[in-house]
Amino acid sequence: MYLLARVERVSKLCENVNEYLLRLDRKLGSKPGQFVMVWMPRVGEIPISVAWEKDSLLKLIIARKGVVTSYIHNNIREGCRFFLRGPLGKGFEITQGEALIVAGGYGAAPMLYLASMLREAGSRVTVALGFRENRNVMLVEEFEKLADRVFVATEDGSVGFKGQLTELVSSILSSSRYDIVYTCGREQMMERVVRMAMNAGIEVQASLERLIKCGIGICGSCTLEPQGLRVCWDGPVFNGYKLIQVDDFGKWWRDASGKRVPLPT
Amino acid sequence: MAGGIGLGVRIASLDLKNPLIVASGVLGVSVGLMKRAEEAGAAAVTTKTTTLKERTGHPNPVIYELEYGLLNSMGLPNPGASEMGTVVRRAKEVLRVPVIASIGAAAPDEAVKIAEHLLAADAIELNASCPHAKGYGIEIMSDPGLVAEIVSALKSLPLPVFVKLSAHGDLRLVASKAIEAGADVLVAINTLKGMAINVWARRPVLGGVYGGLSGPAIHPVAVRAVYELYEEFPGFPIIGVGGVESWEEAVEFMLAGASAVGVASALRRGFEVIGSIVSGIREYLANEGFASVREMVGLAHRV
Ligand SMILES: Cc1cc2nc3c(=O)[nH]c(=O)nc-3n(C[C@H](O)[C@H](O)[C@H](O)COP(=O)(O)OP(=O)(O)OC[C@H]3O[C@@H](n4cnc5c(N)ncnc54)[C@H](O)[C@@H]3O)c2cc1C
Ligand SMILES: Cc1cc2nc3c(=O)[nH]c(=O)nc-3n(C[C@H](O)[C@H](O)[C@H](O)COP(=O)(O)O)c2cc1C
Ligand code: FES
Repeated sequence: MYLLARVERVSKLCENVNEYLLRLDRKLGSKPGQFVMVWMPRVGEIPISVAWEKDSLLKLIIARKGVVTSYIHNNIREGCRFFLRGPLGKGFEITQGEALIVAGGYGAAPMLYLASMLREAGSRVTVALGFRENRNVMLVEEFEKLADRVFVATEDGSVGFKGQLTELVSSILSSSRYDIVYTCGREQMMERVVRMAMNAGIEVQASLERLIKCGIGICGSCTLEPQGLRVCWDGPVFNGYKLIQVDDFGKWWRDASGKRVPLPT
Repeated sequence: MAGGIGLGVRIASLDLKNPLIVASGVLGVSVGLMKRAEEAGAAAVTTKTTTLKERTGHPNPVIYELEYGLLNSMGLPNPGASEMGTVVRRAKEVLRVPVIASIGAAAPDEAVKIAEHLLAADAIELNASCPHAKGYGIEIMSDPGLVAEIVSALKSLPLPVFVKLSAHGDLRLVASKAIEAGADVLVAINTLKGMAINVWARRPVLGGVYGGLSGPAIHPVAVRAVYELYEEFPGFPIIGVGGVESWEEAVEFMLAGASAVGVASALRRGFEVIGSIVSGIREYLANEGFASVREMVGLAHRV
């Protein structure tokens, strides 16, 4: 059964990334890190993380990628309908203390929601955001409102630190003490962040993507080997100690037939 | 075997430690998920239906959750027989319980080609019943002669052959043809063909338009199918599938004539459901004074 939503506002966050503020016909009741399946009739259905939720208002941040996301960017305006099912999956565990959030690109979407929950729980929050170049930079001011410190890295150095997000994270981790690291973004980046945190003895949680079909743990499309962890049901957020035992982490993806293929870059 | 109750059953050449099998489709092509099912107490696992060439399946949405079941239009996504062969061999390395390899084919030589990749499995299950993949499943059920030809071709291989039936079509006719052709086990039933339309979108929900209904909604239909098959072929091994959510539906299947039962949709509540079904069966047997599962098979037919 789908939840019905109306688009109240569409905002452009940066090139190819839009934010959709939706009013639902009932409260979703999600945790940061959980996702919804967004159905566009006749077009398709895709997983999108909850970027924020309050009462019956919901924010989704959607990057243009392929068929469904382009359809949404091209056609969905204020007043249009969204069909949603969820909340699905297991979200981030809120650990009180000194928190570091590491997000690359649209991986920042669920982290704004997480940051606000961490603040409510009384944690101190540092945020490290990575983008390719100036035109991909988004949500920096929103994070600045919520977090104690915000660092930005761009590959071309047009904004903030010049270089890879992982280099920035490495220097942040060596300069202060953290209790927990949360990360979302490209898996190759997250793999490095998870290893850095584990090596420093810090708890870490990462949000993974795989092809989601059923979204309810019943079809096996999104499974990680050899543990048989389903991204849609056991995840999408996993603990570092689990992830470092997953052969697929940072390496393998499943295509639509279920075959294991190298992780797309 | 707590309290001396015999939970074990033998189906064709497969020794099952209890009557609970994970049905085809819900473990995908994941050895890790098969292992989790075994650890949760399943006596055997069935692979996703494999076709000769890989299939990507239908576009999303592929699932629609209802209060009383699930509609799915997965469309038989699978990586093809050769890749599935690798998965089955790997599964046999890490699992102790039997692995049943499900196949989907529209012709005898095609079926044999697929099965030849899967000889590491303990049995071949011919899916003669998928309601939402063109050219497979119920489309072959509508041709009982073809089912018989495929079964007898598969019998040239050294594995027992299970035939998974649909409640659509002439169940008894297809079953009798399959048995004549040498089938070792009947599996009943697959999902029932259905669909859903969203009233606000005014469109069919499923990407494949039609889907297969499973879960509690189809249980009475499945019990009827098993009962009819047992009546017609008393003593022939049957695996009852459809709407098993607790020990009670499992026991019902066995009373109707099933030697074992399959679960699929109930796993959406987690793997723990397997253990609770098995312990519920054990408790029922103990409380009702049965010494083994076998004593209960087909009891509802006794006059
Ligand atoms: C749990 C989860 C949460 C997500 N949250 C967000 C979010 O908040 N915002 C956002 O913009 N995107 C998010 N995504 C990614 C988003 O689902 C994909 O970008 C989307 O499915 C692509 O659909 P499409 O029809 O536009 O592309 P398609 O036409 O299907 O494919 C275009 C390309 O995208 C790749 N692709 C397809 N599906 C996925 C996928 N699930 N993940 C990554 N790449 C994919 C394909 O391999 C292909 O190369 C999330 C994914 C997951 C699994
Ligand atoms: C998501 C899903 C995928 C399935 N895929 C297959 C399949 O590939 N081959 C098959 O023979 N049956 C498949 N089935 C049918 C099940 O094996 C089973 O026969 C049916 O769901 C009824 O059992 P249940 O009520 O316990 O789910 C699938 C069922 C579901 C829900
Ligand atoms: S998408 Fe079906 S199990 Fe995760």
